Amino acid sequence: MRLSRRGLLRAGLAGTAATALGGLATGCGVPTGSTGRNMVLWYWSGGLSPKVVQDAKARYDSAVNLQAIQIGGYYRSKLMTTMTGRAHIPDIAGLKGEDMASYLPNSDQFVDLRTLGAEKLKDQYLPWKWDQGIAPDGSMVGFPIDCGPVAHYYQPAVFQKAGLAYEPADVSRELATWDQFFAAGEQLKKRLPGTFILTDALSVFGISVNQTTKRFVDKDRHFIGDQEHVRTAWDRSVEATRRGLVSKIINGTADNTSATERGLLPSQLNASWAAGDIKLNVPKTKGKWRVAACPGGPSNIGGSFLAITKACREPEKAFEMITWMLDASNQAQGFVDSVLFPSTPASYAMQKLREPDAFFGDQVTMDVFGPAAQNIPVAFNSPYDIALSTPINDELRNFSVLGKDPDKAWRDAMSKCRRIADHLGVSY
Amino acid sequence: MATAPVVDTPPAALAETPVTHPKKGILSYWRLYAAISPFYLLFLAFGLIPVGFSLYLSFHRWDGLGTMEFAGLSQYRYLLSDTQFWTSIGNTLIIWALATFPMIFLAMVTAVMLNSAVRFKNLYRFAYFLPNVTSIVAVAIIFGSVFSTNFGLANALLQAVGLDQVAWLNTPWGIKVAIAVLMTWQWTGYNAIIFLAGLQTIPGELYEAARMDGAGPVQTFFRITLPLMRPVLLFVLIISTVTGLQTFSEPQVLLQTTDNNSSFAGGPGHSGQTMVLYFFQQTFDNNDFGYGAAVAWGIFLVVIIFSIINWRLVQRRGED
Repeated sequence: MRLSRRGLLRAGLAGTAATALGGLATGCGVPTGSTGRNMVLWYWSGGLSPKVVQDAKARYDSAVNLQAIQIGGYYRSKLMTTMTGRAHIPDIAGLKGEDMASYLPNSDQFVDLRTLGAEKLKDQYLPWKWDQGIAPDGSMVGFPIDCGPVAHYYQPAVFQKAGLAYEPADVSRELATWDQFFAAGEQLKKRLPGTFILTDALSVFGISVNQTTKRFVDKDRHFIGDQEHVRTAWDRSVEATRRGLVSKIINGTADNTSATERGLLPSQLNASWAAGDIKLNVPKTKGKWRVAACPGGPSNIGGSFLAITKACREPEKAFEMITWMLDASNQAQGFVDSVLFPSTPASYAMQKLREPDAFFGDQVTMDVFGPAAQNIPVAFNSPYDIALSTPINDELRNFSVLGKDPDKAWRDAMSKCRRIADHLGVSY
Repeated sequence: MATAPVVDTPPAALAETPVTHPKKGILSYWRLYAAISPFYLLFLAFGLIPVGFSLYLSFHRWDGLGTMEFAGLSQYRYLLSDTQFWTSIGNTLIIWALATFPMIFLAMVTAVMLNSAVRFKNLYRFAYFLPNVTSIVAVAIIFGSVFSTNFGLANALLQAVGLDQVAWLNTPWGIKVAIAVLMTWQWTGYNAIIFLAGLQTIPGELYEAARMDGAGPVQTFFRITLPLMRPVLLFVLIISTVTGLQTFSEPQVLLQTTDNNSSFAGGPGHSGQTMVLYFFQQTFDNNDFGYGAAVAWGIFLVVIIFSIINWRLVQRRGED
């Protein structure tokens, strides 16, 4: 066949048009996932244990070809874009705990895991964590990966020098309430000038709210951020700042690293996964840390889920895989590999998780985290929580960093919240 | 239609325009249009349609996954009454001014010095251009430690000359200055190279004549160099305006550690929250895509207004 110049031009044009329109053409009609043997799993770096993912690949290789893809950048945006575009949707998707509230109202995009027999496994998982994966309409969207029980990380040598309790059991007992914790902070400051028990006031607020069974918007789309539980957390945070217990050092800066190494910031209230950050940021402090119970009781920060999307062609197979990947022994592996704290209480007694940790002076940290994880209060997470807690956090920062009058800051926060509630159709 | 319509074309184009026959319309040139179509088709698919969709979206409420609800003009009404949006416009302009004017001054000085330098000219050019191609994220992290309160370079310098420490990333002005310094550092070299190109178009005879007339270097600069550099200056100013109004990465990376609940809040009191940062916060932190689209169109209007101001400046120059 002789190709004329004109023919070439036509062919080229047709090709270009097909390319330009191809993307649009596939965007209509049925949601497409994978076909046949292929099964795509989306997660993020550190979201699952690499070893468990590898094992799952090998284990199910005869039936499916599992392609586990680590998505970088803003994970939620990319997942939402793909789901909205209705093309190349992963069969199995990791969902971050802080994003759950935005996925749950759209439970119709996911397979209800109850239909695949999830209920049979319920008693192997932490009840509060299990409930977090369930949508308002009762369907089960997320299967529990990990959780983030909050603990009190502290440097015993500094506490001892300040005349405070310094053995983990003693610290847990003598700094059990916020009042005791603040009193200890005052003593620390008095005995060792320039030393602070808190790095920022906002963490006190966030953890205090998480220690209650309510957040900012309730199930009926009503604003509850002006109620007792939030006000108490606010006042507590204000009190810590007023008593001079909060350092001016910004998290994550060189100042912070240096001050931590020198023992000027000997205490952190943070989730189990923060142990990894401490090890990474201040490796020189190895052996100088211990873990004790968080003042004011257990709470949780973060933790994720796996979900099966409606695009999945073989939900039964997918369910079999995720339940295997997230069983008690694989969750224990996840803790060893990636500091993913198991949502399966059976893991807590396993030898793997009871190894003495040299970074924490050979302490068995599970003794602190395990009981905390089992007693975390359950609160309803509304999709409007983020928008309606932002002004409160902002104003709290205006007070603690910029020195705004706290009462005015609270009033401003509330009036901003009411404006935003109006805009979002939330009653107050 | 007996005659072809008179089209106001520049002379260069006229020379190549074939004589049009009345019955020969656009269709007779289909091959030419086909040849340039790929760009337009791609632009349509990935540029125009999304832009149109964002306009459509701004009249709705949408959480990014569920169904869209029609909201009429309520997103725009809310935008106009949103103090935080106005704050972010103010922040953007202040940061832009703090960054642009020192930057233009420094770039001009650098260019004049480079222009008179004899040895290692290319090495200097390369060195000055380097900040512009360095990863902004890496740079912002370095600047984060430069502006650290206790152990930062900036405060060490202040203390060396006997001044007090400044909590750079914890005060409204400190934050703005830190972002502006970062932008200045990034763009000075780039603009110096542009100025240098401008300087080299000025004929040497003018300088020789000035020397003959006994003008000093300062006089020469203000009487000859600066007036002839005006168009280049204006070009740099316009480019800086367009990029400055879209400032996003610098405050985002510099301030993300100061906000433990959002990396788009722009530090305490939203002091470093630029327009685009605010757009990101509303859209991706709150999942409020409808309102985010309205914010984006608000930003578009602000940029248009400034483009018109720039354009008028250029027009006036043209009439001089």
